[in-house]
Amino acid sequence: MTSELNDSGEVVELPAASNAVDIALDELEMVYAFIYARVGNRADAEDLTQQVALKAIPRLRQGAPPSAIRGYLFATARSVLGGFWSTRLGLSESELHEDLVMAKPTSGYSQESADRAALILAALSDNYRRVLELRFLHGYSLKEVAAEMRSTVGAVKVMQLRALRAAAKVRLDG
Amino acid sequence: MAETPENRVERIVSGLLRGRRLKLRGGDAEAKDAIIMAARLAAARQGPQRMNPTFRQRLARELETAPREGWLTRRAALVAGVGALAGAVGGGLAVRGLQEAHPSAAGRVIRPTNGQWMDVGALADFPPGGARLVKAGSVGAFVYRSGDQVSAVSSMCSDLPCELWWDGSKSLLACPCHNRNFTPQGSSIGDQYPLPSLDIVDVRVTAAGRVEVLGV
Repeated sequence: MTSELNDSGEVVELPAASNAVDIALDELEMVYAFIYARVGNRADAEDLTQQVALKAIPRLRQGAPPSAIRGYLFATARSVLGGFWSTRLGLSESELHEDLVMAKPTSGYSQESADRAALILAALSDNYRRVLELRFLHGYSLKEVAAEMRSTVGAVKVMQLRALRAAAKVRLDG
Repeated sequence: MAETPENRVERIVSGLLRGRRLKLRGGDAEAKDAIIMAARLAAARQGPQRMNPTFRQRLARELETAPREGWLTRRAALVAGVGALAGAVGGGLAVRGLQEAHPSAAGRVIRPTNGQWMDVGALADFPPGGARLVKAGSVGAFVYRSGDQVSAVSSMCSDLPCELWWDGSKSLLACPCHNRNFTPQGSSIGDQYPLPSLDIVDVRVTAAGRVEVLGV
């Protein structure tokens, strides 16, 4: 335990730094999963999680309960993600509203991402669903998808773009 | 030759499926909806992810060794002075910490240097009891109309750099980053943790019935 002065000038005991760090790391695991589910790759997810951790340091030391720490970390994660997309693609926060706000922090490593993807794919036409399933869920190359769908690589490439755009338009309630 | 949208998206999809970082180029914004969806689907393929142990250790070291100033209480920060905080985790963070400790009852008034009144529409275009997002040059504001009176607050959250949106069903301004609301006059709602009030933007109605905002 360490001690320092509070607002009234009294000496108060603070939790050991290692405890605060352990709590933060557990929460940051969920932040990492949240971010990964939106950027789809480890390198970007690590960079953004690190940004969240550094931004949140002043809060983490205030002895707040884990639930409050989580709320702040996820708020920061949303902000960092918003900045990531807006910088790279010129998206405004309002355009990202559904993607960032609709997702609530969860206490475990949920299947949120996979479940959401399944619902989105289910809402697409057969061809669009098939091309995205083969490409993203089964990891087929364009050539393999073309062979499977009895089409050409060029046609599959166009279909992939259209399918992704159609998927982006799917709105999931709740 | 310019890259076609389908080639552009295939380049990004192919990188994602190989586990690579998102490398976006100028012009990729034209396919932004498809790119964001591709990132989500690539993530879904991998399932829920945990941090790599090496990365977790690195993060733990950074948290452990973060400058003590980064963890200061309000009292300690005031005693140490803002100057001492400049070398902490980041000047912006340190100042933000101070702001968090002083949630103000009323927001600051934005008075831009070389500001000028800018027309943002006729009063009749602003629905009574509603707020509308306007841009006065570089100043973004939500103009709220009550009868023939108007008031305006900044369109940016007071805590994080997030653009607010008007939730007409609640008649409140909503922050997408905090999932928290502000009144049209800028006061933070909820007691989970206090947020500073939104900055106030100068607004007026001219004799001709036009709404003007002090922008720059």
